[in-house]
Amino acid sequence: MKTVTLSFGGELRSEWIKLRTLRSTLWCYLIMVVLTIALGLLIASAHPAPAAGAPTPSHDVQQSTWVTVATLGVGFAQLVSAVLGALVITGEYSTGMIRSTFAAVPKRLPTIVAKALVFGVTTFVVALVGLVAAALVSAPVLPTNDITADFGDGNVWLALVGGAGYVALIGLLAFGIGLIVRSSAGGIAAALGLVLVVPTILQVLARVTLADWPANIAAFLPASAGSKLYAYPGAAAESFTPSRPGASGVITLDTWQGLLVLVGWVVVAFVVGAVLVKRRDA
Amino acid sequence: MIQAVGLTKRYGTKTAVDDVTFEVKPGMVTGFLGPNGAGKSTTMRLIVALDRPTSGSVTVNGKRYADLKAPLREVGVLLDAKAVHTGRTAENHLLALAATHGIPRTRVDEVIALTGLESVARRRVGGFSLGMGQRLGIAAALLGDPSILILDEPVNGLDPEGVIWVRELTRQLAGEGRTIFLSSHLMTEMAQTADHIIVLGRGRVIADAPVATIEAMATGTAVHVRTPDAERFGPLLTGAGATVARPEAELLEVTGLAAPQIGELAAHERIVLHELSPVGGSLEDAYLALTQDEVEYHAGGTVGA
Repeated sequence: MKTVTLSFGGELRSEWIKLRTLRSTLWCYLIMVVLTIALGLLIASAHPAPAAGAPTPSHDVQQSTWVTVATLGVGFAQLVSAVLGALVITGEYSTGMIRSTFAAVPKRLPTIVAKALVFGVTTFVVALVGLVAAALVSAPVLPTNDITADFGDGNVWLALVGGAGYVALIGLLAFGIGLIVRSSAGGIAAALGLVLVVPTILQVLARVTLADWPANIAAFLPASAGSKLYAYPGAAAESFTPSRPGASGVITLDTWQGLLVLVGWVVVAFVVGAVLVKRRDA
Repeated sequence: MIQAVGLTKRYGTKTAVDDVTFEVKPGMVTGFLGPNGAGKSTTMRLIVALDRPTSGSVTVNGKRYADLKAPLREVGVLLDAKAVHTGRTAENHLLALAATHGIPRTRVDEVIALTGLESVARRRVGGFSLGMGQRLGIAAALLGDPSILILDEPVNGLDPEGVIWVRELTRQLAGEGRTIFLSSHLMTEMAQTADHIIVLGRGRVIADAPVATIEAMATGTAVHVRTPDAERFGPLLTGAGATVARPEAELLEVTGLAAPQIGELAAHERIVLHELSPVGGSLEDAYLALTQDEVEYHAGGTVGA
């Protein structure tokens, strides 16, 4: 065993083995793909037929509708991704596996980075498969409602890739939170709370206070900022209507700003988690 | 070779390991002995950098564990608490650990065979008995064919056959020139396996010596004297500075005086002795004598528990 030595490639392989040899992983990914496709199909068939004599919608509106239908599953896929992202790391702490992991890789950070990379890339690919499949199966259903999908439109594919990226980033955010709290229940609760509960609270606050600040805070939350990643860009300006009168002071992020903000969340959670991992006893 | 210098670990106000200095040498089995809670597991976690020392340092083969290029090849470790994901099979657990170092699949199969796990290798670890869990832990420790083996309570939960297997395996590995460091709270187990013993009590090293020396510490602590004249001899012995108990009418249990002195005193006083025998000190006695002041949790020591 002369060539036996620690390497980042080896750590990546190790994390890939770990990810694919747990049933929770396989279940989560299966649920993610099935839900994404099923929701796309369901909404496509439920899309209301246009009123008789109504003008045919513009190309951008048609494409935007198609993208909205195909990416409807993102809302559910992100929840599965958040749960799995937290579990991937907290499962090692709750079972004690982390001690074997850190005994094999005592510098710790390489194995955490390898784990995040393997989980992030796998989740991205799985989410993308689900979203592309949802787009493909919903396309033939929509024409009955006067919408013809244009497969040659690059913006559609960008939105699908953006949706998969969003799902993966939310999973990585949950991973970072899991790294900080080290408990499965706590990690999942905190991640889902940030994605689901906090925006709702802010919405309620916006209604109650009639002020702009809750909406402005909400714009920078992971879910809201990230939603720009899978919106069809061409239709954004056209369909934009202020949610209520006097909402002109509300901040709206564009795609790149949304991506930047979401990545910022992931990086902050990760850096805090990484510092703690280095300092804490395992 | 493991070297600890002034190693200290505090958790809050509690000192688990207190200024510990020792050396574990290659080519022999070194036992790490102490009551539960003495700091053995903490010391072992400090060695493999799972815990950070509050002060002091510990090195393996002259380097800090975290600085090793191939930790699994130099040090194999079995930790006290389970360190395996319960949802994964034994084989996949070993394959994942092996992958970090590029250890080939053939070696994984080897350690599975060596530890007798063939029949359960494809089963999920969650359903393992304590004994199978220990065998898997030992398999993981052996993966990198390491020159240092650290085993925390390796025979815990093993059947008698397994205990003998661990004993023979560790003796054999030590015979190959490896460093074997093995913890236990069972003296009898240590007596049969170790060449050298480090005794830990309340986080401090209270003995660090070859097994024979530790055994000798217990020898001669008490002498049994059987005499028909116990009534007269007892006070004479007390007068000579000994502590005397009289469990039977003709039997005196003497401490504080050695057998030759007791014999001479008897001859001088013209007292007939039927028996004069030092009570053979066992390793168990030595251990108890060493640690009796150091045991943190005496059985029944707390009221209202």
